[in-house]
Amino acid sequence: MKTLAFPAMAPPLDGTEATATALEAARSGDLAAFDLLMRRHERMVLATALRLLGKMEDAQDASQEVFLRLYRNLGKVQACRNLAGWLYRVTVNVCRDIRKRRPEETFVDAAEELVSPGADPQEAATRNERRRVLELSLRLLSGRERAALVLRDLEGLSTGEVAEILGTSQATVRSRVFQARIKIKGFVEGCFRRRV
Amino acid sequence: MNCKDWEERIALFAGGDLSPALEAEVKQHLAECAGCRDNARGIQDSLKLLLSAHEEPIAAGHYTAVRAGVLARLERERRPWRRWMWAPALALGLAVAGVFVAVRPARMPEITVAAPRYPEPPAVAVGTPEPVAPGERNRPRGAGASGTAPPVAASPRVPAAAQGHGPETSALVEPLVVKLITNDPDVVIYWIADRKGEAR
Repeated sequence: MKTLAFPAMAPPLDGTEATATALEAARSGDLAAFDLLMRRHERMVLATALRLLGKMEDAQDASQEVFLRLYRNLGKVQACRNLAGWLYRVTVNVCRDIRKRRPEETFVDAAEELVSPGADPQEAATRNERRRVLELSLRLLSGRERAALVLRDLEGLSTGEVAEILGTSQATVRSRVFQARIKIKGFVEGCFRRRV
Repeated sequence: MNCKDWEERIALFAGGDLSPALEAEVKQHLAECAGCRDNARGIQDSLKLLLSAHEEPIAAGHYTAVRAGVLARLERERRPWRRWMWAPALALGLAVAGVFVAVRPARMPEITVAAPRYPEPPAVAVGTPEPVAPGERNRPRGAGASGTAPPVAASPRVPAAAQGHGPETSALVEPLVVKLITNDPDVVIYWIADRKGEAR
């Protein structure tokens, strides 16, 4: 199996001795240790899956599948520093499989849904609307653009790390990120222009 | 190089994806071009909005559901024998059924079928035949002594058994007839039983 090195993107606890100990214990069948590993990476996996799939129900299914694969491949995760990269890559793959099985509903002028009568730009800053803007704008993107943008701009990985995870070149990642950012900007500006 | 050509660089600049040299070029252009400045600011604001929404905490219940689902599946996989718990139960049930079949009474319980009730046969007036003279034995049948037919009491048609030809003359007993139709249209099974249940 290809070993990935993601020193910059590893969560704070990922490189700690505690994570290494938990990995070792989980390999020997300790479910409590595996539960600890899940707790340390659950936000990363679930949030990424949620952005890639758009629905919490699907994201939970994907996260479960990711952690089950982690358990079955504990021996292949060579070091705890690889764990985050391995989980990102599996998350992207699992989400891609789920999207193939469950095609997303057709996008129908989602910006209209955001505009409520009487809403002003101040209210647009509320949390729920921000979340809605995020969900709807990500729907505009193709699967590849979405994966690149989520990993690069939302999860904060470097272009090189995203390229490793997606199995492509950095130039391709930059191209996808560029396209995605242009689309996102157009959507967000169009959305708020309707309110004014 | 017009602003369209700067679009990709500006989008990458907004996310911090350019090398220092390219970044410096973009900054120089942005200082001279208000349109591209707005474009860059628009991209940065959009990304900031998305990032703020993405960083909102997810409810703890969602994480708990994921962990619980994973651990439950792992528990099931670690104890595969639980999946086959039905097998011994089925084997035990089959064994009990086998014992029951082996020790059950050889003779099936007798099934009594109530005989159908028939209406009482009508009273029959059976006339005593007239003594026949020896000389008249060769006389053609149907012709009386005077050449005409003798008066015969009209009697209803009765079954042979009722006329004294059967074993019982006092009760009208008709056999029980069961017709069994099989799948083969050429095979029809009749089961005929008399009152005592004896098959004929």
